[in-house]
Amino acid sequence: MSRHRPAQPLTLSELLRTDPLRAAEVAYVPDPLRVVERVVLAETVERVRRVTPHAVVLLHAEAATGGWSLAAALHLAWERNASAVVVPRQVAGASSAALAQRLQMALLLVDDDPVDLALGLAGHVTAPASARAARKARVAERLAEQATLRGVLGVLNDELAPVPVALVVGGTVTAGRTAAARDRDGTDRVTVPVDGADGRAWGQLVAAVPAGGSETAVQAAAVLRLARPSLLAAWAHSRLESGASAAHEQAAFALLRRQSGQPAERGEHAPREASDVEAPAWSTGLGWRVAGVNRAVWIAPGQPGDEVPDELTHLLRAAWQRGRPDWPLVVQGEGWTSWYSGREPADVTPLRRSLADFARTATAHRLVLGVGRAHEGVPGLMRSVAEARLAAQVAREEGPGAVRWFDGVGATAALAWLPVGDLAQVAELCLPELVAAHDREAVVGAVLAVLDCGGSLGRAAERLGVHRNTVLTRVGRGRALGLALDDADQRLALHVLCHALATRWGVATTGSAPPA
Amino acid sequence: MSGVDPDGSIRAEDVTALYEGAKFYSPAVGDASRTWLTSWVAELLDRNGPVALVRPEALPPSTTAISLCIIGSGFALADLPPAGDEFALAVERVARLQRTRFEAVYPLAAATVSSFAPVIAAAQLGVPLVDADGMGRTYALIHHTTMHLAGVAPTPLVAQGPTGESVLVDVLTAPRADRVLRANVDTLGGWAALAAYPTTVGTLRHAALTGTMSRLLEVGRVLLGGNDADLLEQRLGAVTGCRRIGRGRITGLEHLSRPTDVTIPTHPSSVVVDEVDGRRRQLRIELRSEVVAVLADGELVAAAPDVVNLVDVSRAELATLDSLEPGDLVDVLVSPAGDLWYSPEALAMVGPHSHGITLDHPGRR
Repeated sequence: MSRHRPAQPLTLSELLRTDPLRAAEVAYVPDPLRVVERVVLAETVERVRRVTPHAVVLLHAEAATGGWSLAAALHLAWERNASAVVVPRQVAGASSAALAQRLQMALLLVDDDPVDLALGLAGHVTAPASARAARKARVAERLAEQATLRGVLGVLNDELAPVPVALVVGGTVTAGRTAAARDRDGTDRVTVPVDGADGRAWGQLVAAVPAGGSETAVQAAAVLRLARPSLLAAWAHSRLESGASAAHEQAAFALLRRQSGQPAERGEHAPREASDVEAPAWSTGLGWRVAGVNRAVWIAPGQPGDEVPDELTHLLRAAWQRGRPDWPLVVQGEGWTSWYSGREPADVTPLRRSLADFARTATAHRLVLGVGRAHEGVPGLMRSVAEARLAAQVAREEGPGAVRWFDGVGATAALAWLPVGDLAQVAELCLPELVAAHDREAVVGAVLAVLDCGGSLGRAAERLGVHRNTVLTRVGRGRALGLALDDADQRLALHVLCHALATRWGVATTGSAPPA
Repeated sequence: MSGVDPDGSIRAEDVTALYEGAKFYSPAVGDASRTWLTSWVAELLDRNGPVALVRPEALPPSTTAISLCIIGSGFALADLPPAGDEFALAVERVARLQRTRFEAVYPLAAATVSSFAPVIAAAQLGVPLVDADGMGRTYALIHHTTMHLAGVAPTPLVAQGPTGESVLVDVLTAPRADRVLRANVDTLGGWAALAAYPTTVGTLRHAALTGTMSRLLEVGRVLLGGNDADLLEQRLGAVTGCRRIGRGRITGLEHLSRPTDVTIPTHPSSVVVDEVDGRRRQLRIELRSEVVAVLADGELVAAAPDVVNLVDVSRAELATLDSLEPGDLVDVLVSPAGDLWYSPEALAMVGPHSHGITLDHPGRR
């Protein structure tokens, strides 16, 4: 026959979260984790002189007349190492709370009849296991009522206080109190893994319990486990309400941008360095992580000026977050921004994997992607977003599905900002014969390649994957159509016009098969 | 006792010191009656000559003596000052009843304005004032005396009111006297001159606390000469044996901190003082018509019958209980009462339990 381990006594914090003490006002509690082994109903101050350690003392009748009687009871409770003194609210004044603090004696104020209260408390204290079971049921009810991550973590922190609780995803605190994830002397960490809807590990709930308090750790772990379904539900809920959340996230990102010192979306050309800008607490409520090193991704339509329909946003969100549910996707004007936050700036493996997974979707919807560099904090995120956007503009040259990294873009980023449509109209006026020619794409492609290669026919032919004579013929044809390549005064202008026309017409500036 | 002069006397110039000393032994005394009372008594002593203050041992044991005090409300006394003959009349009415003549008077309580009553009577009747009293401080009820503890009856007693009316009280048991008397005081004018405990000086030698009037005068002189709180307390300690419990700032005045009963008048309240040095304890001073207990961090450190005073540190003078304000810096002093008051019977009568504080006197634990 197996012998059950006797249940550990309840703590003050557990009692304070359970009826009938749940309604008590805490005048002072120095150590919520003090155990309570018995309940004493003291009718006289003299009775307090006989209480045993770890008792909760309820004062009533003569002992609860306040003033001297409460002061004396607090002193005697302190002498006897009691866990707490409970008195009717009208009895205690500010000086009583001050004395409780001086003596480091917990003082609780109640409205209910102390005799009824003592009966209820005694029931809990003598049967801690059933009290804990009742509490778990109540916690489960509270958790089930929560529809947001913040709400779930709020309940956990409320129920387990003073133990801090946090949701950690990818090594970063996503919701809850950061103190939970911090290594501190005198605390042990309780960790409960949380899986995503696909069954893969998504994050973990972390609580920092006082070191050595095994029962506290056990209770904390039990409550954290209760929260897992609510967390998943909250996560799913946020996904279902994508329309509302998209607008919410858009506004939040705009606010984040403003707080980082950038007044408007267009202003991201020159992000200001403001490394002292802290991540606002509300950002974690959205599931965003911005406190570490951030690297942004910009997803843009293949052609400038295309609208961003809501339906496409929903589709992209589903595809983009399939593997990375914690990476946000925020609508930004004519594109979408996403980012991920980590501790190691050089680690781009997860991003490369996501980009590869997303490639088919990008091609199908004629999208291009730009990737910014990794920068620190909120201002760094804004800088990375600006870089990613530039890189995405450059990626348009390469057609749908293209991905460009800002590290590899360099000065060519400037070309991405040329007003291609306006320049094409200029070309129609300046070079009408060329624009009207049936072989205009081949001619412009060849002339652009030659100009790009510094006039070298051989390198241009190599780049285009055609014979040198073909290049020569096409360049000659260009001269005949009005491209005065030999005139130094016109060469830069012609180079820019050819770039604009090639972009406009979708002319390939490289060969179909890259040279070995 | 320090300052005792067997052949001493109380002169007009001693009246101010008498008033100050009376405050020490009853800190609830306000200054409402100060001006007219001291002026009147000083004038009386000037006119009738000094009152002889004589220790009981210096008088024949058979000398008849009766105690005097003022009973009732201090505010009523201020509103309706004495006609002047109340004290002598009260003595004479008891004398007439007992077919005797009182050859000496003594204070029922050498404290409060009551300490002036026997001085006035002695001056008017031309009899000596016995340097002894029944309380050595003040208590709320008239049977809270060492005479009562020694078996001396308070009755027959006479309360002579300021409107010329008087009440003669004779009861079977001493505690009834106060009950019967108080029911009549309002009708008499709110206060009355009380003559009680008719006895002999021989009895007083063992039934009263001796030297208490001369001590009162000495304390008054010390208080009048003080301009530094520390020095003042040092001198008071030499005269009264008082010691400082702590120095602190008043942080709160609380009322009705314990249930009232009908036997002892005035409402209970508390003064909370946070010590500014030392252990920085929280001192809770429980008040009734006097300071009845002092708790330091909830531990009872002084209680009736101890005499507890507050000294206003910045002014180096006694702080009366009706003048306390949050923020005041005060010293809490405790002086022992007469030894007779620490017997179990006496403590049962005037100790903390009698004020609803169900803690044992710190001297008994």
